[in-house]
Amino acid sequence: MGLKSKVIQLERVKAFWKTLLGVSILTTGCAKLDTSSVSRLELIQNRGELHCGVSGKIPGFSFLGSDGNYEGFDVDICKAMAAAFLGDDKKVQYRPLTAPERFTALKTGEIDVLSRNTTFNLSRDSVGGNGVTFAPVVFHDGQGLMVKEESNVLSIDDLESSDICVGSGTTTEQNLNDTFQEKKLSYTPIKYQDLNQVIAGYLQGRCRAMTSDLSQLSAARSGFENPEKHIILNTVMSKEPLAPASIGGDQKLSDAIRWVIYALIQAEELNINKKNINLKLVEAKSNKNLTTLRRFLGVDGALGNKLGLENDFVVKIIQSTGNYADIYTRNLGPGTSVPIKRGLNALYKDGGVLISPPMK
Amino acid sequence: MRKIFKQKRIKTGHFLDGGIESVINIFLVLIIIVCSFKAFNWILFVADWTVVTKNLHLYALGSYPREYQWRPLTWLLLLFSTILLTLFKNKSKLVRRFIYCIWIILIPAGIILHSGGIGLAPVQTRYWGGLSLTILLTICSAAFALPIGILLALGRQSDMFLVRNPCKLYVELVRAIPLIAVLFFGQLLIPLFLPVDIELNRVLRAIIAFTLFSAAYVAEDIRSGLQSIPKTQKEAAQALGLSNIHVMQFIVLPQALRIALPALTNQAIGLLQNTSLMAILGLVELLGITRSLLANPEFIGRYLEAYIWIGFVYWFTCTAMALISNRLEKDLSPDKSDRINL
Repeated sequence: MGLKSKVIQLERVKAFWKTLLGVSILTTGCAKLDTSSVSRLELIQNRGELHCGVSGKIPGFSFLGSDGNYEGFDVDICKAMAAAFLGDDKKVQYRPLTAPERFTALKTGEIDVLSRNTTFNLSRDSVGGNGVTFAPVVFHDGQGLMVKEESNVLSIDDLESSDICVGSGTTTEQNLNDTFQEKKLSYTPIKYQDLNQVIAGYLQGRCRAMTSDLSQLSAARSGFENPEKHIILNTVMSKEPLAPASIGGDQKLSDAIRWVIYALIQAEELNINKKNINLKLVEAKSNKNLTTLRRFLGVDGALGNKLGLENDFVVKIIQSTGNYADIYTRNLGPGTSVPIKRGLNALYKDGGVLISPPMK
Repeated sequence: MRKIFKQKRIKTGHFLDGGIESVINIFLVLIIIVCSFKAFNWILFVADWTVVTKNLHLYALGSYPREYQWRPLTWLLLLFSTILLTLFKNKSKLVRRFIYCIWIILIPAGIILHSGGIGLAPVQTRYWGGLSLTILLTICSAAFALPIGILLALGRQSDMFLVRNPCKLYVELVRAIPLIAVLFFGQLLIPLFLPVDIELNRVLRAIIAFTLFSAAYVAEDIRSGLQSIPKTQKEAAQALGLSNIHVMQFIVLPQALRIALPALTNQAIGLLQNTSLMAILGLVELLGITRSLLANPEFIGRYLEAYIWIGFVYWFTCTAMALISNRLEKDLSPDKSDRINL
């Protein structure tokens, strides 16, 4: 209560100065970042609700279910954070955001976290660019190739001197060119304005293969009449690491977000999932020799407190969303209509690139 | 040569009288039959309408909390019945007099039923969506834009320099900026100028942007009405001893508004369709909700069905608006002006 009123008081004083600032900004026409000394993490906890920016329009990642609730991979990441920060994965407000407004929404504080298929790159991360802070990569997307089963194409080398459908004027086109040049393969690009036209061209047989991001290829394929008759090749031609982001200069919040993601990965590594979490917790409490497990689940030590969270935040996360593998399988696994192979998104010991620093 | 053409043209009233025209006629009829057969075949047998039937509540109300869904639903029903009542021809005098009051009451009623208050639990604007949001945006913006537009139009005709020129400047300025730029400014830039803890909600911001934008156009429509009233009427009224305000209130404005009505209807329909621009700015109105639903793996690839459906919904809503305006025009026409009291 004391902290709460203090925060509110602080905010009120600030509001006055910021209104003055706002007027001066209006005249100069440039925006200034919020230089709040109170971490947004505390604001979130006082508010009792996490504001999470999502796309709402990407199959498998975030979309509106028939019951009116948001679902998907990105949405589950929001839920994991809400479980860690507030102990309840339902205390999230989703803001559907479009690509141009996502960073503005972060800067203005309209959202606390952006979990919206955002590629992690230098100019977005740096102070001279968008100035946001990225969490660890949650999904490694990349450009892929899709072919029809009957074409008997098994790898990119079989595509020598064939037609390939591609969206024009995008980095997709550039990546395709680079990859084929590198492999000294010749090809003819059939260019279209947007993805739907590329798909139509591919289905009408104008080309042997079509190219786009893997997640988009999978989504497109699930809309086809016979999805199983189309194969996505294993070649990945570009890297599109997608990561959640928060406002720059707020270490407490970005640390908390970072370790929520790492906890999801670490839990998969330790084989703790939604089904066995309660068993594991009992096991950890009864056996004093399982030091790593006890520390991870918050039975021993104060890992959570160091981040400004409850010590058992990992337990809360796993109980609500499960570990990384649970989230992946639920939204993008083989049983869903947007199946994407884990590939780079597997743990380092399974041939992927996901790894969590030790949680000590 | 010209003579032959002339003779043929006279005969076009007949369908089949030999020559090239009957060939064209048969050809066109065949095309129409084939097209409509294909269309009906697609609608009835090929199309998979589950994307519509399963999500009707989302199209209507967005992700409004289930326990309060009766509120916007009531409002939509109220609106629908008011429309029917307005369009009904043989109204009793009582109904005719109160129908305008009902329309005016519908606006605050819509806001209260959506947002809560007066004993209703509050529901934040981010849960609003679908058709009810589209209509609410349109009605509120139109209701605010009309008085502002009237004032601007009157201001432009004023003799006072400091009133006339700012009004003129405003209208010229706003008309020269594309709507999407105004909306972007409202949605993305206004929050940057405001302090962090002051949060203008997005629906309000959208309504403000639409209002400011439409007001300029409404002002021009009304000005065209004002200019069509002969100056002699004004002078005659002044000669009778009416004050300037009374001249406006009883003589000029009622006539000007009636003349401007078709143009205003045009504006209102345009406004309804412009609300779909909010879909690319993150509001889940009718188009926004459709785009979100199409990302649901269950309905992937059902573009045609979903877009044809919302096309139909937009058509239905706009037609209702056009019919109301027709009705209003008839009610206001001078030869029946004894019917109503303005």
